[in-house]
Amino acid sequence: MEQVLTVDNLSKHYGQMRAVDAISFSVPRGQAIGLLGPNGAGKSTTIQMLLGITAATTGHITYFGQDFNTHRQACLQRINFASTFNTLQGRITVWENLLVFARLYQVVKAKRKIMELVEYFQIEALLNQRFWDLSAGQKTRVNLIKALLNDPEIILMDEPTASLDPDIADKLLTLIEQLKSDRQMSLLYTSHDMAEVERICDQVIFLDHGKIIAQDTPLGLTKRITHSQLTLAFDGTQAQVQTVLGRFQLQYSFPNQNLVKMQTPEQLIPKVIFSLSQAGVWITDITIQKPTLEDVFLQFSRSTDSTII
Amino acid sequence: MISRQRIQALIIQEWYISKRSLEVIMDLPVFSLVDLLLFGFVSAYLLTGTTTTGNFILLGAMLWEIVRVTQYSMTVSSMWNVWSRNLSNILIAPISLIEYVLASALSAMLKSTVITVGLAVVAYLLFGFSLLQIGFGSLIWYGANLMLFSISVGLLLLGLIFRFGTRIQALGWGLIYICQPLCGIYFPVSVLPQPLQWISYILPPTYVFEAARTSLSGGVVTTQHQVIMVLVNIAGALVCMTIFRYFYHSARTTGQLARLEN
Repeated sequence: MEQVLTVDNLSKHYGQMRAVDAISFSVPRGQAIGLLGPNGAGKSTTIQMLLGITAATTGHITYFGQDFNTHRQACLQRINFASTFNTLQGRITVWENLLVFARLYQVVKAKRKIMELVEYFQIEALLNQRFWDLSAGQKTRVNLIKALLNDPEIILMDEPTASLDPDIADKLLTLIEQLKSDRQMSLLYTSHDMAEVERICDQVIFLDHGKIIAQDTPLGLTKRITHSQLTLAFDGTQAQVQTVLGRFQLQYSFPNQNLVKMQTPEQLIPKVIFSLSQAGVWITDITIQKPTLEDVFLQFSRSTDSTII
Repeated sequence: MISRQRIQALIIQEWYISKRSLEVIMDLPVFSLVDLLLFGFVSAYLLTGTTTTGNFILLGAMLWEIVRVTQYSMTVSSMWNVWSRNLSNILIAPISLIEYVLASALSAMLKSTVITVGLAVVAYLLFGFSLLQIGFGSLIWYGANLMLFSISVGLLLLGLIFRFGTRIQALGWGLIYICQPLCGIYFPVSVLPQPLQWISYILPPTYVFEAARTSLSGGVVTTQHQVIMVLVNIAGALVCMTIFRYFYHSARTTGQLARLEN
């Protein structure tokens, strides 16, 4: 599979502090890679290096088979970036901002291209407003239009849906899915919304203390957590339940008189329910919550030893 | 390869910002006009005597505006983007550092030219003083030298801001005034104490203001003076460009460039 972006042994040191520590990964054409990690994990520094704003201490970045250091302009022409944390020029109108960037990216038929995106993101009414007069969600939409102006082959997105209302966020994710399938666009994506990451990312990279601590598909990562959360509503005494669960050596709690919650390996669930029934406990409701990417994120983030996974 | 379209993009952005910013309108055409009126009335008063000092002051005031407006535009145009958190969007566009500097310089020169022409018209109408008295060719030549100096200083200050952050941003519009008493704008350099005269002759505008006064009084500016003026100016420009490049790359290495907008 053709690699759009290859990162090889990339590091960024600030004195003794290793913000990014020898990370290597690649982004294949048409695939979305999620870059996750707690605050200070090195996600932003990595993205800054991938955009050329910050110089790497060591390592190589290659876009489309070209070294980013020596072919900076050619690479930047084919990539783009959108972030909630960057804004456009506040004093000028949305239309003027987009026109400036269309020229910077040498977009052919710039006005038509801008209007196509403006219509998709439903911001026709904002075109003549100054950028600083827009709401946070409106600013994010304009940022996204800027990021799509040059039909990028890979787009780096730093929490692009933060501050978007659910409808527009869904439209963006649908557009991303469409661009991935129709134009084979690649993505490097950071977000704190794990459901979003599960929806659009083919692979997820977990960073912690500047190092990659896990890399897998979202499904592969969730499978690493072998326990599900089982919640049972029951008619009986807590003593009966405790006796049965004690035999399985499970961690459990009683959120109320007739409810018990436990973490259990999936294969034990039928046995637990059967044993409780045999002990005379009447099960009135069963909820099984499988591990999500959020659980994986929490587990990785709270792990003190980043090398164990 | 340098792209005309990318350079135009930034010049157009500068135009959009300028026409919508009260600060730019106040700092450039309005302050320039106020200065012209101030020195115009001072010179009108002095001209009631027999000396040409009044005209020298008016000439100095008008040429100084070329320095001030060009340097201000060169530095502050980038600051508008820093304040809007838009500079990183521009720096990650496929624009080279040379194109970025060229666009900023051309935009600054354009503003400076428009304002100088406006001031020249006002000075002629209100005070009967024609800037063309120094000769059209000389005016272009002196103006170009002053612009080169201002662009160099603007670039140096931009490098400092990239490297050390917006906490030193006031230098962007304030530092140039240090040159004002040293460059012999309104009076001959010989008026200055000897140690200050040495400093004065390190500064390229000094040669321009001296030459302009000579031209205004009908004298001939020697070739030697012109050569020294250009050489000092080019040397200064090279030093400033080198320092700018160094600070820009240093800002990328330390991560300051990415933090600039935080």
